[in-house]
Amino acid sequence: MEERSVTHGTFVIERSYAAAPERVFAAFADPAKKRRWFGGGEGSEMEEFEMDFRVGGTERTMRRMGPSTPFPGVALTNETFYEDIVPNRRVVFAYTMSLGERRISASLATVEFVRTEKGTDMIFTDQGAYFEAGDGPKMREGGWGKLLDGLAKELARP
Amino acid sequence: MRAGGARRSRSARGLRLNIDRVFHALGDPTRRAIVERLSERPQSVSRLAGPLAITLAAVVQHLQILEQSGLVRTEKAGRVRTCQIEPLGFSVAEKWIHERRAIWERRFDRLGDLLAEEE
Repeated sequence: MEERSVTHGTFVIERSYAAAPERVFAAFADPAKKRRWFGGGEGSEMEEFEMDFRVGGTERTMRRMGPSTPFPGVALTNETFYEDIVPNRRVVFAYTMSLGERRISASLATVEFVRTEKGTDMIFTDQGAYFEAGDGPKMREGGWGKLLDGLAKELARP
Repeated sequence: MRAGGARRSRSARGLRLNIDRVFHALGDPTRRAIVERLSERPQSVSRLAGPLAITLAAVVQHLQILEQSGLVRTEKAGRVRTCQIEPLGFSVAEKWIHERRAIWERRFDRLGDLLAEEE
């Protein structure tokens, strides 16, 4: 019996910020700002951060997994392609995450900024395809839960 | 409606197949509404159907899919079939998506901090 190789999952995150859409949008558009919330401040080493914020532009970030994860020293790479940008309104991007040489997921993410009296409501929708391990017995043993727990812990490091 | 058995296997293969069903089951708004109501408390099928504005037969069909996914368990006592949440199904689904979600949640926490600092 063949194992399934892809699982699809969607999640939505809503946040309200006490800042105008122009400022929230700028935090996505300005590389120095984006680096601070997207990757910076997490302690683990961000080894690469390049972004070209325009429709058709790409972004690439790479960090090393820490010693407490199932894959110490392995590169975690995030590659993004900007599909649609409407200033102060919307950013749509496709992104993949790779662990070492292996793609672990590909997603379409939509960020919407809605102006409110208090500032901005931001709606983030992530529609993802999660790939099974192409190889690596460790990943099979531990399962995705352990892997993703490790990823989350790594990314949460102060 | 079938009982648990093999689909509740804790083997890696069992979990992956189950994950697939879980996501299919939760991909429908009526089924999510059913799950939300059952997470408040176990309920009979007819009571579930009440506020949903769909036929009893449709509710039964949705329940079948939820039960096959391992998210919901039903038991018949006399003439009444009672439905309740099956916690095992949720732990499987959470492992897949919720960690990714958590990554973005933390990013957006930091974005909030950044915006507040700029004030």
